[in-house]
Amino acid sequence: MSKQYLTLHTLSDAHPSDVFVLAPTSKSILSASGASTIHIHDTTQSDFPLLQSLENVHILGIHHLVTAREARRAASAGFEGKIKIWSEGEDGAWKADGEISDQLKPGDVWAIALSADGKYLAGSSINGKINVWSLDEESKPKIRDYETKGSFGMCVDLSRDGRFTASGHENGSIYVFDNDTGRLTHSLAGLVKPVRSVAFSPNTTLLAAAGDSRTIALYDVKSGEQIANLAGHGGWVLTLDWSDTGEYLLSGSHDGKAKIWSITTRQCVATHSHGDKPLWTAKWLPKSTRSEMFALGGGNNAISFYREAAG
Amino acid sequence: MDAFPEDDLDELLFEPFLPSPPDSQTWDSSNQFANEEILQDWIDDSQPSATIELEEPQDSGGTPCAVARDRYRCLFLQLRSCTNRCRNWVIDRIESMLEQVVDGLLTEDEQLTISLKTRIGLSRRQLNPTQNAGAAPPPRTIELNYPGSNVQEARRFTIVVRILELILCCLIDDIVMTKRDMYYRHPDLFGKQAIVDRYVDDVACTLGVSRSLLNVTAAAKGLTSGNFVINRPDGTSVHGLSEPEGILVPTVHDGQTLDVSCVHWVLIIEKEATFRSVLSSPQWKVLGTQGLVLTAKGYPDLVTRKFLRQLADGFPHIPMFAFVDLDPDGIHIMSTYKHGSLRLAHEVVTHADTPGVNLPNLQWLGVQSHHIYQAPGNECDTTTAAIADAQGVMKLTARDRKKAHHMLEWGVCGEHSSEPAWRAELQRMLMLNIKAEMQILDELPGGLVSWLSKQLEVMRDRSADDEILF
Repeated sequence: MSKQYLTLHTLSDAHPSDVFVLAPTSKSILSASGASTIHIHDTTQSDFPLLQSLENVHILGIHHLVTAREARRAASAGFEGKIKIWSEGEDGAWKADGEISDQLKPGDVWAIALSADGKYLAGSSINGKINVWSLDEESKPKIRDYETKGSFGMCVDLSRDGRFTASGHENGSIYVFDNDTGRLTHSLAGLVKPVRSVAFSPNTTLLAAAGDSRTIALYDVKSGEQIANLAGHGGWVLTLDWSDTGEYLLSGSHDGKAKIWSITTRQCVATHSHGDKPLWTAKWLPKSTRSEMFALGGGNNAISFYREAAG
Repeated sequence: MDAFPEDDLDELLFEPFLPSPPDSQTWDSSNQFANEEILQDWIDDSQPSATIELEEPQDSGGTPCAVARDRYRCLFLQLRSCTNRCRNWVIDRIESMLEQVVDGLLTEDEQLTISLKTRIGLSRRQLNPTQNAGAAPPPRTIELNYPGSNVQEARRFTIVVRILELILCCLIDDIVMTKRDMYYRHPDLFGKQAIVDRYVDDVACTLGVSRSLLNVTAAAKGLTSGNFVINRPDGTSVHGLSEPEGILVPTVHDGQTLDVSCVHWVLIIEKEATFRSVLSSPQWKVLGTQGLVLTAKGYPDLVTRKFLRQLADGFPHIPMFAFVDLDPDGIHIMSTYKHGSLRLAHEVVTHADTPGVNLPNLQWLGVQSHHIYQAPGNECDTTTAAIADAQGVMKLTARDRKKAHHMLEWGVCGEHSSEPAWRAELQRMLMLNIKAEMQILDELPGGLVSWLSKQLEVMRDRSADDEILF
C-alpha cells in the first residue's frame, strides 16, 4: 500500500551552501546551512515567504538547529563550537536568548535536542559524553552528564516528555538514559556502523535509529528489544523524523532519497528524490488543518515542501 | 620550509631556539672566552655534522660580530659592478643593512640593531573575512639587537648577519645556493634547517622581493613526467618521459625553452605514492603522451610552484588540475598551489622581474565527496555502495577536525570568499566525520588511473566548452 505525496513548493537556493538542518514550528520553518544565517520561512502560505533572517549566527557555519515542539524556543550549534538559544516573541520575531556558556570548545557539543517544553537541551559530543542543560535558569546549568565509551556521539534526541535521552555513536552504540534517575537505561545492540540519527516516537514507546548500515532499527523503549528493521535505503541514513501521530517515519539518505515508512505495516510507502546530493535533513511539519506535509533539505541548497495527495 | 605544513612549522619556530643557560641573562662582551664556552655548551649537541667546523672562532677568536666586521670590510672591497638592476638593488639593500652593523661596531655603539619583517606567527584568523578575502595580512616587524637581552637574541642576531652575508656572497658571485647548502655551512650555528628557512624568508619579506632574487632556492623536491621537452641553448634537451620514474622538477632558466605542444593537461598529484602508481600503470603509456603529471610530495616547494607558474603563464590554454586527498591537509595543499602559502606571501608580488607563483586557474579534479559516495542518477549502484564502505574511508582525527575548523576561518575558505566548494567539502567532512585518500578510487572498476583518465577527459571537455563560451 503506497501513499502519494506531491511537491508543493521548492525554495531553490534557500541557502548558499548545503542545507544541514530544518526545524519546524507550528507556523514556520527555521533552516540553517554551511553559511552563518538562519532563515525563517512562513509555512502557512503557499509560497512559503521568508519571514526573518538571523544573520552572523555562527560564522563557520551551522551544523545543528532544533525547535521545541510546544514552546517558542530554538537552539543552534555552529562549527566554532557554540550553542545559541533563541526565543520567539509575541510578535513572531525570533531573537537571541543567551548561550550555553560552559566554556565549550569545538567538539564539546555536536548534535543537540530540545525537550517539547523547551526547558531542557541535550547535547552529544566528539568524546562520547552526553550532557543535558536546564534552559529556564539564568545560568543554564548542566544538570546531567552521561559518560559513554568515548565514541563520537553523532546524534541525540530527547523524548517529548523529557524523561529520556537517547544517543547514537560512531561505533554503532545506541544508549538510552533516564533523565529522572540520571542512569543508563539501555545499551542497544544491532547497528555496527556509525549511527547518524536517533528519534523517539511521539508517545515515547519506540526509538528509531539509523546510519551507515542503511537500515532503520526500531526499538521498544521500555524493554530495549529491537522490534523491527526497515531496509530499503541505498545510502547512509542521515536523518529520521516521526509524524505527529506516530504512524509514519520519514527518513533521508546520503544518496538524496527520502522515504516514508508505515510503522504498522513496516513497509516503505513512498520514496522521493531530492537530487543526488546528500539529504541532510527531513522533517514533518506539525499537522495543521491541511493534509500532512514534510520538508526536505540537503546538498542542493534547496528546501522542498511535500504534501499528502488528497483522497 | 615548504616541506612542512605551515602551522606545524610555525609551532616549531616559536619554540625558544635552545634552553637558556642559567647565566644567559647578561652578555658580557669583555669576557669573550667565557661566552664562547657558553655558546658551545648550549648549542644543540644533537647535531650530526659536528665535523663541520665553526669558522668564526678560527678566524679571529673573537665574537661572531668581530668576525663579521672583518669579513664585510673585505666584501665591500670586492664588490663589483653588476649588470642586473634588480640584483644590484638587492645587493645595495643588503649591503646597507650590513654596513649599519659594521658602522655600529666601528663606532662602538652599545647596541646593534637589525630590523626584519616577518610573517611568522601571523594567523589567518586575523583576516577580516568580509574585506580583502584571501589577501595575506601585512607582515610584522621584529628587531634583533646585539648584544640583546639574552643569549638567544645575540644568537639570532648572529644567524641573521651570517645569512645576510651568505646571500650577499651568492648575489655578488651570481651563484644560486639552496637553503640546504646554507644550513650545512654552519649546522651548529643554525641548529636546524627550519631556522635558515625562516630567516631567509624573513630577509626576502623585509626587502619585499621573491626569494629567488636573493639567489636562494629550496632543494628541488618535486617530481614530474610527461610529454614535454626542455631545450637548452647549447642544443641539448631533456625529455619529460626520459626517466620511467619521473624527473626532478626542472628550473627553466632564461634561454631555455619549454616545448609542451603535446601536453593537453597538467595534473598535480598530492602524494608521491600516487604519482608513482600512475607512472607504473599500464594506462600511463597512453596517458603520458597526452599530458604532464607532477608531485611536490606534499606541500609544494617554490621550485615546483615556479615551474607550474611558468607553464601557466606561457601556455594559459593548458588546463591545470589538482588531485589531492579528501581531507583538510589535501585542501590546504591545493590551496598552497593555487593561492600560495601565507608565510611566503611576499613571493606573489609582481615586483619588477619577480613573477608571482600562484595558480589562480587551478581546478579541483578530486577527490571530492561525490566521487566516493554516489554514482550520479543511479539509486542502486552497488559499486559505489561498496566504495563508501571500503577501507579507504577513515574517521577524522582530532587534528583533522581542528585543522578544518581553522580553515573555515581562513580567507579562502571563509564565508563569502573565493572557494565556496572547498568550504562546503570541509563542512561535509566535519558533518560525516570522514575523510578519504586518493587510493580509495582504486576500489572503482578499472582502478584509480582509469578513473583519472576518464575524469581528465570530462574536465578537459568542460574547459573547452568554457573557452567557446567566453
